[in-house]
Amino acid sequence: GMDPATTSKSNHCLDAAKACNLNDNCKRLRSGYISTCSRELSATEPCSRRKCHKALRQFFDRVPGEFTFRLLFCSCKDPACAERRRQTIVPACSYESKDKPNCLDLRGACRADHLCRSRLADFHTNCQATFQSLTSCPGDNFQACLGSYAGLIGFDITPNYVDASTTSITISPWCSCKGSGNMEEECEKFLRDFTENPCLRNAIQAFGNGTDVNLAPKN
Amino acid sequence: SRRKRARARHKPCELRELEVSVSELGLGYESDETVLFRYCSGTCEAAVRSYDLSLKSMRSRRKIRKEKIRARPCCRPLAYDDDVSFLDAYNRYYTVNELSAKECGCV
Repeated sequence: GMDPATTSKSNHCLDAAKACNLNDNCKRLRSGYISTCSRELSATEPCSRRKCHKALRQFFDRVPGEFTFRLLFCSCKDPACAERRRQTIVPACSYESKDKPNCLDLRGACRADHLCRSRLADFHTNCQATFQSLTSCPGDNFQACLGSYAGLIGFDITPNYVDASTTSITISPWCSCKGSGNMEEECEKFLRDFTENPCLRNAIQAFGNGTDVNLAPKN
Repeated sequence: SRRKRARARHKPCELRELEVSVSELGLGYESDETVLFRYCSGTCEAAVRSYDLSLKSMRSRRKIRKEKIRARPCCRPLAYDDDVSFLDAYNRYYTVNELSAKECGCV
């Protein structure tokens, strides 16, 4: 279809949800993780994070990138759109928790799981900021970086947008470097691969602007 | 044209679909998300059973008088589609089941 008229109601994130809802496979698996991640268990337990993460992994593993990337990396001009983008992974269940663990502890938990460990290694390889390319990405390969980012969702290290800002995109796992002791520097370096990574930021922005010809779904 | 419209009205019972916003569903949700609404539409003339004919006969012979009966098949969903989830205007997620038809039949 064509882009709908630019009204206040239309935005790229809403268009991405529409595209998913009109595809049976995407709709089914999206509903799968949304219902699991927003199902309240009890007054003390808002949801089952374990089940929510599993449903999210199934969504990103089984639905083609043309749908999942559009939902995750849609570009936004207003806060409502950016909030919708932030809400994509149902962060209240899959991302946030009462207290923020130390990032190196979180990395340790991830490395204890063989799949999380390999996904994190992929992320570091494919989104490693480099000065040797124009885009800051290894081999100027945006798609590999975005794919590795999406591959982390549903694991201990699940990343997300930290706020609904439309001007600056900040990504982070739910962790901080407080209490790192003598590992503070290492912790900050690990965290900066998410929060201050020009390759990741350029890849997300290029996808949103449709300037990455390999990725932008033109229909 | 009128003939075309008449023909469309007399299509046999089948699944049709509409793209609608969640708000338009009238279920009380406020959301601009678009969903595919599938519904059953068409005639059931070919599906009249001996049951229907006999029931009509009983009614005309006044053997059935006060009860509410339906002596003709009706185009309705035989199965419903999977759940549909969406984010509303207040950033809350909802999941609705049995919203859309999956299969239609004259029952």
